[in-house]
Amino acid sequence: MLNRRRLLLTTAASLFLPVQTGTAQAADWPAIEAAAKGQTVYFNAWAGSDPINAYIKWAADEMKSRYGVTVEHVKITDTAEVVKRVRDEVAAGKQDGSVDLVWINGENFRTMKSEKLLFGPFSEALPNYALVDTEGKPTTRQDFSESVDGLEAPWGMAQLTFFADGAKVAEPPRSIAALTRFAAANPGRVAYPAPPDFHGTTFIKQVLIESAISPAAFSKPADRMLFSSYQPVWEAMLDALHKSLWREGRQFPKSQAEVTQMVADGELLIGLTFNPNEPANLVAAGTMPAGTIAWQHEKGTIGNTHFVAIPVNARSKEAAQVFANFLMSPEAQARKNDIKVWGDPTVLAVSRLAADQQASFANAAAPGSVSLPGPALLEPHASWVPLLEDAWLKRYGKG
Amino acid sequence: MTATRLVAVLPLTLLFLLPLVAALVLVLPGLLDATAFASMIAHPQFAGALWLTVFTGLLGTGLAVLTSLAIVHAAGSRDLSRGSGLFLAVPHLSLAIGLAFLIMPTGVIARLLAPLLGWTSPPQWVTTQDPWGFTLIAALVLKETPFLVWAFAALLNRDDMRRALDGQVAVARSLGHGPMSIFLRVILPQLLPRMAGPLIAVLAYSLTVVDMAVVVGPGQPPTLAQLAWTDLNDGDAATAARGGAGVLILSGLVLLLIFLVGAALPLLAPLRHRLLASPPRQDAKLFRLLIILWPAWFCIYGAVMLVMALQSIAAQWPFPDLLPQHATAAAWLRLVQDSGPFLTTFVLALATAMSSVAAAVAWLEWAPRRADRIAALVAVFALCLPSLLVGLGQYRLFLALGITGTAPALFLAHVLPVAAYVFLVLAGPYRSFDPRWNAVAAGLTAQPLRFLLRIKWPMLKAPILAAAATGFAVSVAQFVPAQLAAAGRFSTLPMEAVTLSAGGNRPLIATHGLGLMLLPLVAFLLAGWFGQPRWRMR
Repeated sequence: MLNRRRLLLTTAASLFLPVQTGTAQAADWPAIEAAAKGQTVYFNAWAGSDPINAYIKWAADEMKSRYGVTVEHVKITDTAEVVKRVRDEVAAGKQDGSVDLVWINGENFRTMKSEKLLFGPFSEALPNYALVDTEGKPTTRQDFSESVDGLEAPWGMAQLTFFADGAKVAEPPRSIAALTRFAAANPGRVAYPAPPDFHGTTFIKQVLIESAISPAAFSKPADRMLFSSYQPVWEAMLDALHKSLWREGRQFPKSQAEVTQMVADGELLIGLTFNPNEPANLVAAGTMPAGTIAWQHEKGTIGNTHFVAIPVNARSKEAAQVFANFLMSPEAQARKNDIKVWGDPTVLAVSRLAADQQASFANAAAPGSVSLPGPALLEPHASWVPLLEDAWLKRYGKG
Repeated sequence: MTATRLVAVLPLTLLFLLPLVAALVLVLPGLLDATAFASMIAHPQFAGALWLTVFTGLLGTGLAVLTSLAIVHAAGSRDLSRGSGLFLAVPHLSLAIGLAFLIMPTGVIARLLAPLLGWTSPPQWVTTQDPWGFTLIAALVLKETPFLVWAFAALLNRDDMRRALDGQVAVARSLGHGPMSIFLRVILPQLLPRMAGPLIAVLAYSLTVVDMAVVVGPGQPPTLAQLAWTDLNDGDAATAARGGAGVLILSGLVLLLIFLVGAALPLLAPLRHRLLASPPRQDAKLFRLLIILWPAWFCIYGAVMLVMALQSIAAQWPFPDLLPQHATAAAWLRLVQDSGPFLTTFVLALATAMSSVAAAVAWLEWAPRRADRIAALVAVFALCLPSLLVGLGQYRLFLALGITGTAPALFLAHVLPVAAYVFLVLAGPYRSFDPRWNAVAAGLTAQPLRFLLRIKWPMLKAPILAAAATGFAVSVAQFVPAQLAAAGRFSTLPMEAVTLSAGGNRPLIATHGLGLMLLPLVAFLLAGWFGQPRWRMR
């Protein structure tokens, strides 16, 4: 039964036609929904943000009333913990694993995929996958330059975005070079979280891209040799910036949330986030003042997609698929897109939706929205991450 | 006879000895991985982390010992045990959170100074996350000093100690010695050897603490415990193995330092001999100032709690304002509405404390006295080991048994340190129970069980309840083993607090810090109240 479905899925996926995918699984989708009823989905998701937790709570309530599926939000600080837990459980032969669905992307996805810790392919067979903008948003199929292969379902879009109180930062610095000049003029008032924090790692990747003449090389797997030709310029750029950072670049805030709190307190001047709508969200929540501005770099900032995936030893695979499908539905995506709720950009092709559905995605320009957008740049291949983090620790990790 | 022995030994063996041994047996072979060791030693932050760990651990412990001795001396014959019990109720994590709110650049102290110095934006001073770890040391001293004071006070309150010391102190006084002289010559030499357990526990804890270091410690480099914890949680298998090697190196470091400190103490003997050979002395006036130390502790803890209470209801609190602009109960409502973690923590603490006390009493009452040394040694040893190592071992054990993420696993993970503390706290007072009461009761033809129920246990109710409250507090504060054993199926208050501190929502962090404090505080107050002799309760 399972094998037959997999066969159908791969055939459908190879056709690259969402409509075909829809018909291919239409026969057993009701069966999956029926099996899902009464199951419990343990959804392991980063829980450091109130709006996100509240949104997950809403989605859980909807799942209960619509599909009779119980969703438990397992609050975690770092998705790597989940990767490790699944690996340990699989190694110990535990079939009824503790994780049914995990919020994931990038390096963690690559690890789970390469160690065969993921169930699937499943995502392209979900009914709502037909609505995903796979052409306009290529990162829904290429996660950090790693092929998704139907092993995770796209959930939301992200792009590195900076923000500040407009009353204190008149002219936002729109490149790493400009940021360095800004920091020199305001010593001790700029910081980024220390890698391996997700945002910290993204920041040093952004520096890598801006320090290189031809960033195209970064979409291919890296090795030490290749990296060493980029390393000196990258380090020179970081050196120049670090001189005027908070604590002279000897200590770093521990997380993006800490940076945000320090910006709200006035201890730092510039914050960073992966959610372009977070600054507007912070204004709506009263954390940041109404004059808050948000921007991306002129030549672009790193953008990516975040996903949900089902571990190979998940206990409620059916309910996890139903939940993943619901999270991709126009209704759930529109609500998530709303700045007053979460403000996480959609993975769907809004233009392909019905007119009333399209209207539900319209966000009125809110204070704190991105006023100076830049193009989304592709993530470097996930294999660059350990090289960058290791080099960063060697040079800056000793205080 | 064998049945009694079994009843005596079995509970503590099942709850504590066996799981500990099984955990270590399971975890150690996996950690002996040469590649992982080499890569940990080659870690760019390893040398710095090692140095920072030794520096903060030794200085923190040393200062806590000196301060606690000064406080015990200054108190004279006053009983410090009840006051110090209150401090024990404050978990390390809560204290670290509150201390940070007090001293960080946007903290209350900076806000108090702002109008005087004309600050409009937060000062760029280096308080939390200072590269030397001084804030971490301060937090350790603040937390460990009352624990040591409490342990000293418990020792001084023991019948046998008090009887012996009272006479000796009277003799010394009549020979013209001042209080400090008496303390150094008569009291201290008798106290210190009996304090080995608590002193070792403090040193081991200071060297291996994770949650406190995460909140107020430096990050570049972090302490060795933090470095290992970050690696252990990494998704990459090789990095996780490197973390395991870090845990083993940390365990070795703890044992080595305990040994070195123990070996270095006799080197102080010439100093002591000079003191003993000097003539009787009255105290220098300066020593009288020590009397303010103990009240100062109450003031600091009071300030920390006040700041946390303010922060927990602060909707918006921009920098130079001394008070929040608006008050909101949102964070407290969240704690009440999402009451699962609170209840889980409470039920676990109650269950582990009660079963540990029962197991310890059974052991102390019916097990042969020779076996005490073994249990005590294992308990001290368990407390020396980083909770990282024991937690990891238990996690492997639970994985092998297939019970990760179940209630029994969570119970076992919590009960291990609880049983160790309860046994150590209870063993002294229980064993010093005057055996002549036995003889009196037997002479009055009381059956053994009747004697226990009517005479011995009621007379020992104060130490038994104190041990239960200690166990309760230890259970509430568990983070590392809880996090590993729960597998995301359960959440406890410390797990919520650490997760939230990553999110930076200060009212929620403060609320959870206070919630963490509230449970043990109530336990200690109840233990203090019911532990009084019955005539005083009326």
